[in-house]
Amino acid sequence: MKTRRALSESAVAWLFVAPALLVIGLVVAFPLVYSLWLSFTDVNLLRATGPAVELGALRIPLFRWIGARNYTQVLADPLYWDSLWRTLYFVGAFVAEATVIGFAMALVLNERFPGRPLLRSLLLVPWSLSRIVVGLLWVGILDFEFGALNGLLLRAGLVDSAIAFFKEGWSALNVLVSVYMWNQAPFATLLFLAGMQSISDDLYAAAEVDGAGYWRRLWYVTLPALRPIVFLVLVLATVNGFLMLDLIYVLTMGGPGYDTTTISWHGFKTSFTFFKFGPGTAILYTLTALCLLMTVVYHRLVLARFEPEG
Amino acid sequence: MTLDRRTFLGTTGLAAAAAVLGEGAWRPARADKPVNFSGWVFKPDTVKDYVDFYNRKHGGQVKYDAVPWATYHPTMETRALSGEIVDVMYCNSANRERWFDNGFIRALDDLPGMDELKKKMAPGNLESAKSRDGSKVVGLPYFTSLFILMYNEPMLQQAGIKVPARTWDELVEHCTKLKRDKVSDTPYLPNWNNSGSGTMPQFLSDSFSEGASVFDAKNHVVADQEPGVARAMERWQKVYRDGLVNPEVLTKTSSTDTHRLFWSGRYAYHTNHSYYLKTIAGEPENSKLAPKKAKMAMYPGNGQTHMFTEWYTINAKTKVLDDGWKFAKFLGGNLNGDWYVQRQWCLIAGLDNAYPEMYDHPEIIQSYDRWVDLKLLREQYKKGKTINAFKEPWFSEWDSKAIAIVHNIIRGTTTVPKGLKELAALQKSLA
Repeated sequence: MKTRRALSESAVAWLFVAPALLVIGLVVAFPLVYSLWLSFTDVNLLRATGPAVELGALRIPLFRWIGARNYTQVLADPLYWDSLWRTLYFVGAFVAEATVIGFAMALVLNERFPGRPLLRSLLLVPWSLSRIVVGLLWVGILDFEFGALNGLLLRAGLVDSAIAFFKEGWSALNVLVSVYMWNQAPFATLLFLAGMQSISDDLYAAAEVDGAGYWRRLWYVTLPALRPIVFLVLVLATVNGFLMLDLIYVLTMGGPGYDTTTISWHGFKTSFTFFKFGPGTAILYTLTALCLLMTVVYHRLVLARFEPEG
Repeated sequence: MTLDRRTFLGTTGLAAAAAVLGEGAWRPARADKPVNFSGWVFKPDTVKDYVDFYNRKHGGQVKYDAVPWATYHPTMETRALSGEIVDVMYCNSANRERWFDNGFIRALDDLPGMDELKKKMAPGNLESAKSRDGSKVVGLPYFTSLFILMYNEPMLQQAGIKVPARTWDELVEHCTKLKRDKVSDTPYLPNWNNSGSGTMPQFLSDSFSEGASVFDAKNHVVADQEPGVARAMERWQKVYRDGLVNPEVLTKTSSTDTHRLFWSGRYAYHTNHSYYLKTIAGEPENSKLAPKKAKMAMYPGNGQTHMFTEWYTINAKTKVLDDGWKFAKFLGGNLNGDWYVQRQWCLIAGLDNAYPEMYDHPEIIQSYDRWVDLKLLREQYKKGKTINAFKEPWFSEWDSKAIAIVHNIIRGTTTVPKGLKELAALQKSLA
């Protein structure tokens, strides 16, 4: 006589999470592992040499394994290192600006004043725009020939001739930082604001009783309570900064010269213009490594001594 | 006269049958299998129109899809990798040889009617249509283009300049005077943009106009050994240093963006692909220099300028070769004897083509007359110079990376001899 065996609790749990794991495996893990594999191979899309994985009708070429040659080639290229230093500057400046300005805007929007709901809604407009649109919008503002800002400055008599914001590489790079900050800081504001609203009023009341003024309350109550949010903002801003590509595409195409070429742009060009997908993925995996490294650093700096309530 | 029900039904039934049978008799037989056709996004509605026209008139079953330019070639390669067969495809000159070398597209010489098309093609375009070793024709022309000199006639007249520059020295002299007289802040607009259609074609054009070669017979870069190239680069440094050009042109992202600056009427001279003069001089709704206030002059120096062609290609694995070839001839040849598609591109976008006899067509002559001196343009085409280096595997990467080096020369962050040596060294490192 057969008896029906009850599934163990952990088996049921696995059963429930299996669909989600399958989807994550297909759309996250597989592309990650496959692209990492590509960075160690000689990829020619038109000649899929080497072994392949057959999954029913689907054939996934594995290409020819060449070890770390793509990485050694990439790291021997001076353009890679120039792009890396530029990327580090870009990310550093962007993360600092987006975090500080995002935090400052959150402080303002956390106060009570007439029109606050409207301002909170408007805040999200720059963040919700496609970055192609953001780029075109800022071309319209900053362009040497027809830019609104130059028109304004000239008519107000504040300058004698139009300013060429994109003429020098340094200036163009900083324009990219500022435009990206304009686009991304509202999201940081949103996160900070959510964090601020979850801080108990009792803490502020107790601090006031102890004689703490605005700045002391900010330093000893608000900032410590926002540590997890600061960590999140720093990680997201860093990853976004490293990966930023579309604004470069619209505003400078990496020029003048290579002066606004970052690692992500270098990787994109190597893959999609030169069809060197092996070196291209190798370049972009160095970015992934940098992002992971920075996440660990932020964790140590921001969260190491943080003890959540309860 | 009264119409009863029986008469009405009989008459309309006969009319309907006649219409159906008539249409059936008139229409050619439909192709058995569809022809898949892909191109990058450029006026896709125009493409759809002529694909519909072809399907109606020639019984075709062509299915068209457009892919954004930036990812067009990688997308087509990825689709090939996945086993999809796109029978007829656009291909730009920098990628065509790669596609042929890797067996992605086929040679066309053995197909019926190709010999006749070869005879009709201008020699420069035919040479470009051939594979690297010159033995096979691997594409039919989508369009051809070359760099021309455009000038703002009202501005020159205002400054008392009666004849546009015939030499580069004259052009610099005119621009210096226009800036000095405060007629224009930046009188010259060269196409130094950061895309593949900007700085490097301009570099080749100006070098050729100085009588210089950029590549030798073996397609090696010899720009560093050519005094004419150095002269062109010294002039570029001077006009940039003297503030005669828009300083932001180096970060413009396309030739389209660059030519639109000329619409403003604030520049005296502009060098760009010939077809852009159509919007500049022919579209009053957009350009202050239309109608025909902007004109074309023969390219300065010896008049030589860079000419290139983009292509229609046929997939080597196509299973509908006869139908695909018929459609390709409709696109890049002369299926009906009326240059239908080539003519559409001329009329709609000012794109030139590789078949000189099409320029005798009255509709074409009339259309060009609205924006350019066609006789002069044809003269300029006789001086168009093609390169064969684009067929080399390294060319695409060299062409792209060279932009930064040339920009450094223009900005004076490197010297002319050093920059030109870098261009040659870059090619050696990639070959």
